[in-house]
Amino acid sequence: MAKGNSERMWNKAMGVTVLLIFLGFGAVVVNLFRWQILRGEELKAAALDQSLHSTTLTAMRGTIYDSSGVKVLAKSASVWTVVLEPEYIHEDEALRRKISSGLAEILEMDEATIYEKTGQAGSYFTYLKRRVESDVKEKVVAFLDENGIESGVRLIDDYKRYYPYGTVASTILGFVGSDGQGLSGLELQYDKELQGTAGRMISAKNALSTDMPFEYEQLIGAQNGYNLILTVDETVQSILEKYLEQGIEQFKVANGAVAIMMDVKTGGILGLAVKGDYDPNDPFTVYDETERKKIELLPEKEQEQAYSDALNKQWRNKAVSDTYYPGSVFKMCVSAMGLEEGIITDNFSFTCTGNMPVEGVTGGIDCWKHAGHGQESFHDGLCNSCNPFFIRVGELLGPSTFAKYREAFGFTTQTGIDLPGESWSIYHDEEDLGPAELATESFGQNFSITPIHMITACASIANGGYLVQPHVVDRIVDEDGNIIKKADTGYRRQVISEETSQKICSVLYDNATSGTASGGYVMGYRVCGKTGTSEKIEKYNEDKRTKENPQMEYIASYCGFAPAEAPRYALLVFFDEPQGEENGGLTGGNAVAGPIFSSMMEELLPYLGIEAQYTDAEYDTLDLTAPYTVGLTLKEAYAQLGQMGLDYYVIGDESEDSIQVTEQIPQAGENVPKGGKVVLYTSGYEEKDVLVEVPDFTGMDLANASYLALLNNVQVSANGAGATEGGSAKLQSITPGTMVKPGTVVTITFVENINTETYVSLE
Amino acid sequence: MAETVGRVARGLRKIPQYRPPQEERPKAPSERSEGQKKKRRKKIKYNFFALGAGMDLPLFVFLIVLLAIGLVMMFSASYAHCYYYYGDSYYFTIRQAGFAAAGLVLMLLISTVDYHQLHKWAYPIFGIAVLLLLIVLVLGKLLKGITPLVRPKNDVYRWINLGIEFQPTEIAKFAVVLLFAHMISLRASKMKTFRYGFAPFMGILALLALLIAPEPHLSATIIVCVIGVVMMFIGGSSPKWLFLVGGIGAAALGAVLLFSGKFDYALDRIYGWLDPFHPPEGVDTWQTTQSLYAIGSGGLLGVGLGQSRQKYLYLPEPQNDFIFAIICEELGFVGALVIIILFSLLIWRGVYVSIHAKDKFGMMLGLGITFQVGIQAVLNICVVTNTVPNTGISLPFFSYGGTSLVMLLAEMGVLLNVSRHSNIEKV
Repeated sequence: MAKGNSERMWNKAMGVTVLLIFLGFGAVVVNLFRWQILRGEELKAAALDQSLHSTTLTAMRGTIYDSSGVKVLAKSASVWTVVLEPEYIHEDEALRRKISSGLAEILEMDEATIYEKTGQAGSYFTYLKRRVESDVKEKVVAFLDENGIESGVRLIDDYKRYYPYGTVASTILGFVGSDGQGLSGLELQYDKELQGTAGRMISAKNALSTDMPFEYEQLIGAQNGYNLILTVDETVQSILEKYLEQGIEQFKVANGAVAIMMDVKTGGILGLAVKGDYDPNDPFTVYDETERKKIELLPEKEQEQAYSDALNKQWRNKAVSDTYYPGSVFKMCVSAMGLEEGIITDNFSFTCTGNMPVEGVTGGIDCWKHAGHGQESFHDGLCNSCNPFFIRVGELLGPSTFAKYREAFGFTTQTGIDLPGESWSIYHDEEDLGPAELATESFGQNFSITPIHMITACASIANGGYLVQPHVVDRIVDEDGNIIKKADTGYRRQVISEETSQKICSVLYDNATSGTASGGYVMGYRVCGKTGTSEKIEKYNEDKRTKENPQMEYIASYCGFAPAEAPRYALLVFFDEPQGEENGGLTGGNAVAGPIFSSMMEELLPYLGIEAQYTDAEYDTLDLTAPYTVGLTLKEAYAQLGQMGLDYYVIGDESEDSIQVTEQIPQAGENVPKGGKVVLYTSGYEEKDVLVEVPDFTGMDLANASYLALLNNVQVSANGAGATEGGSAKLQSITPGTMVKPGTVVTITFVENINTETYVSLE
Repeated sequence: MAETVGRVARGLRKIPQYRPPQEERPKAPSERSEGQKKKRRKKIKYNFFALGAGMDLPLFVFLIVLLAIGLVMMFSASYAHCYYYYGDSYYFTIRQAGFAAAGLVLMLLISTVDYHQLHKWAYPIFGIAVLLLLIVLVLGKLLKGITPLVRPKNDVYRWINLGIEFQPTEIAKFAVVLLFAHMISLRASKMKTFRYGFAPFMGILALLALLIAPEPHLSATIIVCVIGVVMMFIGGSSPKWLFLVGGIGAAALGAVLLFSGKFDYALDRIYGWLDPFHPPEGVDTWQTTQSLYAIGSGGLLGVGLGQSRQKYLYLPEPQNDFIFAIICEELGFVGALVIIILFSLLIWRGVYVSIHAKDKFGMMLGLGITFQVGIQAVLNICVVTNTVPNTGISLPFFSYGGTSLVMLLAEMGVLLNVSRHSNIEKV
């Protein structure tokens, strides 16, 4: 019994042992095999996934330079983002207080807000303030050091985009979003190139997301973005923008304006101004004040929508995204077609009766001059901007040839300019080009293109027939200046022959000097130009349905180039919806866009190194430059002025010849009209007693304006072809009512007001 | 007899002489017996590793190896935890090493004390264990830890602080082993009966379960009960009663779960166990998944000693119950297998010396202690590898815990003492 008992106990003990070791550990080993060998890789990946953190090292975004390669239009600079890690500090009340009061002062934030943020348990990342500059960063670092705060507040390297010229070229440059991604303009178009390649630092983190002491770090350095060097010249751009703003103000333009200057040989855009634009440093502010006030008055619900609409409008690059009827400007292309096809010859003649019967248009199409232009050669037809003439040319060309050239000029595809959001043109296909469509398209109505299309076609007419590739970026260079990519400045195809080109240039030169485009005449320069007034028929048709008394809105444009003998630069000026009822009935291209074109060219051409060459007639009207007389005695001054044929009179003490001149108006170096006068100031007068008011010259011709100026003790300097052609004053350099010193020169631009457009209703 | 000897002696060069258990030795002259005892004691005192009366060397070696590996791994596993929470990577290691040293000394001392002395300590130690458990229960669970004597950790009351902090359940485990060994050795002939061989044992286990379970401490309850039942089974209690009680217990547990509304929760726990990576809502399998990530990361050969990533605060308290996961990660499948084999060897050797013990008391005591270690090790590794659902069981010799390690080594001292008297070939 006893032995048996012991034996049983042994058996049982061994049984339990075997069970424990083989079953227990056996199951464990099976499981271990399953987890470690079979699913090892999978679990390892999952474990690494939770412990490996990849930190992105931001690459510095490339700089954008203007064509000089020196002026910086957009650049990135280091800033820091202050981040809270509340999990490390949320339990320490005193520390929270200290941090929130200290940082509130440095970051100029609300202390209570920061305090609240420090209390978020479980959070390891809360933005406190994004993009602080280095001085603020230094202060934060000092504060943390002083108080021995090691965790809880972190500074993250970041970059901020600066646009040193503010609104200048904003629609070209675009802007970046909060994470430095390009959202508009070149920033969007060349986002990839500018961005560079972000580096990555892969490191192992523990469950609290702080570093593990592992040699598990892998660093891939950031590759900074490439720099862009534009064809855009900051000076040109600023001049364009300055005059556009002036034009908008002057002609009460409701829907913005565009000016594009292109190098006709390369297709490089020297300037592309769009108003109303914005400041890319702060793109989310509505810059149009009237718009802003309108939004503020809206009910709160609609405000957000209105706000985003307004932003989209100000960001929109009208030059590439908006289409319009090119209007009469397009006639230069139709002329080129006719000449190239041999339809227009030296003997070609057409008689304009004021109306042109066109199949499918009831009553035919009127010429803008109802009386008709009578018999016209090609030169007259183009200079008169005669609609029937071009309808006839279109007829003779036929739909297929017309369509062929239209395509050749690049109107049917996108130009491929390196700006985002380029619009497609809208036109009738060859099959759809019935007599009515062909007739209207022949004088630039009834099909839509973008301003970029127009100036590109214009450039090809100017440069000898070569269609160029419009572009804004000249070259992409890396950090060390190596060229990564150079813009294609070759031509895509020859559209017309050089002879045709020269022929049109000479006619357009006459047109800009004495034709319907004389508003763009620039004294001293041989400028070619063509006006255009586009009717916004679609808007009109829509308004007809909704409004009782619809008003036809216009786009006034002027497209030209200079110098006529060897064209270098083309310029298109484009005003969307000049309010005729507010500006004295001016809606036409010559009246609205012409003078602005003229002013721009007058300032730009000398800057671009094209020297003025005055004709004798021009030389006679040319202003003189006032000599330096301050500091001279009156006697010496009289002599000097007399020598130049300038008149003079003295304000102040003139009892003796030996009295010194203390001031002169116009000042030395300023323009003074031929036969004008210089007012010499001596001592002994009260400035406020002598001031005079600038009168309003609007609408006057040169003679009347001169007389009024004489009465008011100011002088007039005439500008624009209209001065000699019986035009009326449209622009004056000093606002009426301004108090100025006697003798001040007011520059007045005289313009012939001819609205050369005809409304054609195509139902 | 020959059959028995053959069995026991398998694989040994020298066949040991079988000596039947002492109780059954008829009429030994008391004088001679005294003399023998004295002689033996003397030997024990001065010849720790001597043949015949020295402690079992393989057992001692396995134990020391496990303890050494355990210390190293404890250091590796606790390194990051201590660094982040105590600012000193060696915080746990130094303490554990100190306790291990003290424990070793205690173990060797105890191994020289004749285990028969423990007969008279069986009831007092059990009484102390029950008293301590009562204190924890009353001061902790009922009075919500009003005194610093009993403080909750994570809302459970398991620890008692008498200068040093320890879990009374550790004492309870030994108390059960000792008491059952004592009782079985006295009731050898009556173990088959319900009255002597089953009911008292069951009563003791029920009492302990009632004291431990509400702490709550499910894993300790299970271990105590399993050790108790295993000892009863080996000791000769009728298996039918055991099965009956097991059946009733299982049914009662099922009924409680089903009717207390915790059934769904239990079911969710089981789903969470079956697929720890996609647990049902409300079931937290973070520890298990992190453990499996660690195990998986180890692969065949491991990421290398000290190179664990999971110990960087992903696996909560990696130095405690889940230390084996870190071992798997750092030493790989092969390393884990080595540890498992070491534990198996320890268990085998423990069982071997126990079943060759001089008497039934030594045998039951040795088996109890060995199985206690074995069951804990198996259950712990099962939990870590998600073989069984997660419950807090520490890994002997590895997990951090000073008093528990000292307690364990003291028990090992008893086992070693059993081995000194054991009728085996000493090397």
